[in-house]
Amino acid sequence: MTRQSEILLTLTAVLCVLVLGIAILGWGVDTGYVLHGWIIAIAAGWGAMYLINRLTDPSPDIPLEYKDDVIKWGVLACFVWGVIGFTIGDLLAWQLAFPSLNGDMSWSNFGRIRPIHTTSVIFGFGGNALLATSFYVVQRTSRARLSSETLPWLVFGGYNLFVVLAVTGYPLGITQSKEYAEPEWYADLILLFTWVAYLLLYMRTLARRAEPHIYVANWYYLGFIVVIAMLHVVNNLSVPVSISYAKSYPLFAGVQDAMTQWWYGHNAVGFLLTAGFLGMMYYFLPKAVGRPIYSYRMSILGFWGITFLYLWAGSHHLHYTALPDWVQYLGMTMSIILLVPSWGSVFNGILTLNGAWDKVRTDPAVRFMMVAVLFYGLTTFEGSFMAIRPVNTLSHYTDWTVGHVHAGALGWVAFITFGAMYKMVPWLWKRESMYSLRLEAWHFWLALTGTLIYVGAMWNSGITQSLMWQTYDPNGAFTYAFIDTVDAMRPYYIARAIGGLLYLIGALIGSYNIYMTVAGPRLRGADKLALPLARPAE
Amino acid sequence: MTPERDEVSGELTTGHEWNGIKELNTPIPKVFRIWLWGSIAICVVYWLLYPAWPFVSDYTKGVLGYSSRLDVQEKVADGRAFRAESFAPFETTDVTTLSEDPDLQARYEPAAQVLYRDNCSVCHGRDLQGQESFPNLTDGHWLWSSTPEEIEYTLQVGINTTHQDTRYAEMPAFGRDEMLAAAEISDVTDYVLQISGQPHDATAAARGEDLFAENCSGCHNDGGVGGLESGAPSLTDEAWIYGKGPDAILETLKNGRAGVMPSWSTRLSPAEIKLLTLYVLWAGEGDAKQ
Repeated sequence: MTRQSEILLTLTAVLCVLVLGIAILGWGVDTGYVLHGWIIAIAAGWGAMYLINRLTDPSPDIPLEYKDDVIKWGVLACFVWGVIGFTIGDLLAWQLAFPSLNGDMSWSNFGRIRPIHTTSVIFGFGGNALLATSFYVVQRTSRARLSSETLPWLVFGGYNLFVVLAVTGYPLGITQSKEYAEPEWYADLILLFTWVAYLLLYMRTLARRAEPHIYVANWYYLGFIVVIAMLHVVNNLSVPVSISYAKSYPLFAGVQDAMTQWWYGHNAVGFLLTAGFLGMMYYFLPKAVGRPIYSYRMSILGFWGITFLYLWAGSHHLHYTALPDWVQYLGMTMSIILLVPSWGSVFNGILTLNGAWDKVRTDPAVRFMMVAVLFYGLTTFEGSFMAIRPVNTLSHYTDWTVGHVHAGALGWVAFITFGAMYKMVPWLWKRESMYSLRLEAWHFWLALTGTLIYVGAMWNSGITQSLMWQTYDPNGAFTYAFIDTVDAMRPYYIARAIGGLLYLIGALIGSYNIYMTVAGPRLRGADKLALPLARPAE
Repeated sequence: MTPERDEVSGELTTGHEWNGIKELNTPIPKVFRIWLWGSIAICVVYWLLYPAWPFVSDYTKGVLGYSSRLDVQEKVADGRAFRAESFAPFETTDVTTLSEDPDLQARYEPAAQVLYRDNCSVCHGRDLQGQESFPNLTDGHWLWSSTPEEIEYTLQVGINTTHQDTRYAEMPAFGRDEMLAAAEISDVTDYVLQISGQPHDATAAARGEDLFAENCSGCHNDGGVGGLESGAPSLTDEAWIYGKGPDAILETLKNGRAGVMPSWSTRLSPAEIKLLTLYVLWAGEGDAKQ
């Protein structure tokens, strides 16, 4: 595709979004919805003007180097959303311990701001970390510059526009009430445009690679992009009430809707929070320790095992519900087998450290990544265990689930991200090293302590409340009233909030460290290996 | 590139390299193969025993013939039968007779307390002492009589509810509905302060006495002593649902009151309502003993 026609195509997509924004701000009735119309129109209008300017520009010389400018913005967005998400998460933790902290206003209560926390950390922090590192990794492991000069910006801008629409809508009550898929139809449409662009960009970059084989990290990133596209489309099939309102109704109802939602929910965990971040691990861990991947064969077992099995396992979120038994048992058994490829990836990561274990002691970034892999192992074991139906009678609807999710999110997703960022930022901005190794170590220990307190508190709380719910007196009546089980949670909720606070402080120290590194002196002399391979003109 | 031998592990690489990253060609450890096939074997057993694989319009039933719907129905029925047995007195005996049985409290109070906390404590407090707008259940003051069957009836139909037999009691809004002038309301307030032994203006109270006799005594009884068991409280005792003092009384006279007690007959079983009735009576007795 020529540069001209690519810009025209991109421009068409942006103009579609612009029309959507103008329609919403024009016909919209509710304030929040109209506000979203303005945000969309301004963002798309700005994008359209930028593209029109590029159209009339003379064709620029594309330098023989990797396209890193958009990655830098991705790193920035990742940390900004991370700090927002962690702060709100800890605020919610304090609200649960002291309910009067909800501020007694509709927009500040738990139900409205919880999705701000989940969206900020999963899509804002995690999503931007994946965008940034996937662009970084695909270029280096393909020895090719990103296939387009404009699409990466469209992907980055459109994606963050989606996250902004999501988190600004929740306090105003704009939600379709599907966990991790709360944004309404118009935000979903924008993400769809963005995601198709991301997929095209990624595949076309891989197609331009100078290496004969596709590196395993790219399998994972590509798996993440493809599956998220599929999940996003199917779970958001819904009919808007009219252009004048944000509200829409889902295509599926009842147990079908529940199953679609948890097929989505479980695989958002499986492909965004697992596959994507395994891609990150497969590049940054061996790169940081200078050791080869332990086993190519294990990579294959891990990748195909995870990709095949995860998609069956979503029904374990609906054990003992109206969902037919066969769906429950099938999901449960696939979850049991799923532990094998998951731990295959764990062993592949940990054993890659063989011959470089000293780096765990000397390099906090490596320590972050190693502990991340251990938490990944812990969480996947726990996940498969909780998916077994009788175990689920104990764990379901309790804080154990919350603890399990955070063992994965705090311990695995965020740890591997911090480790990768501490490596990538100096490489990206061409700095000697991070601003301070001591601060990196402080971040590590605060984050680890916070995570352990959080997860430990939730294990105790979850099992305690579950046992209290299931205790009967000799007459066959409940021993505890529900409020008694709430009382029993309070010490754990306070502990959780303290753990979250430590985690937040760690992330703030990390952000400061990143900022000081970026603001610090530039490294002299460029690394020759860090260039794409010169190729004949296409 | 050709595969090379890694010095640390002694394994060969695959011969590929990406941005300096290589891969070893280490075979998958035996334990992983055993584990993988073992997991699959366990799952095959599950698939044989339980419902698992779908066809077009049916699914494999499994040799155990398990169905979670039947399973839960059975467990619920068992639990119900067991409770019917252990709560047998409450199923068959009337509440007055039950209230005369001294042996019930020790055995059933813990269960009654859970029932109370799950359903009643939000308004009446965990200690049954009530809170503003919700009466204390232990102070011996009763708006609708203290007999067990009347308390049971209040639990069943509620007060000011949509139940067809609901108890109904409303303090009229004398001010808002212009039944009394502002000065008159002020006088009645002073009279109520007087009969409840609070600081008041004696001349105003004297004026209020006649007004009270004309407008209020029908429900609150002569001199505001209550006791008509029609939902109107005594105004001479220490039990104040909406607060004592001139401001609260003035507010009540101006805008009226119509507190709601939900009807529980559609939410709790007759036996549970009897149990809660006894629980309230036991709590009052405990208080009286102290």
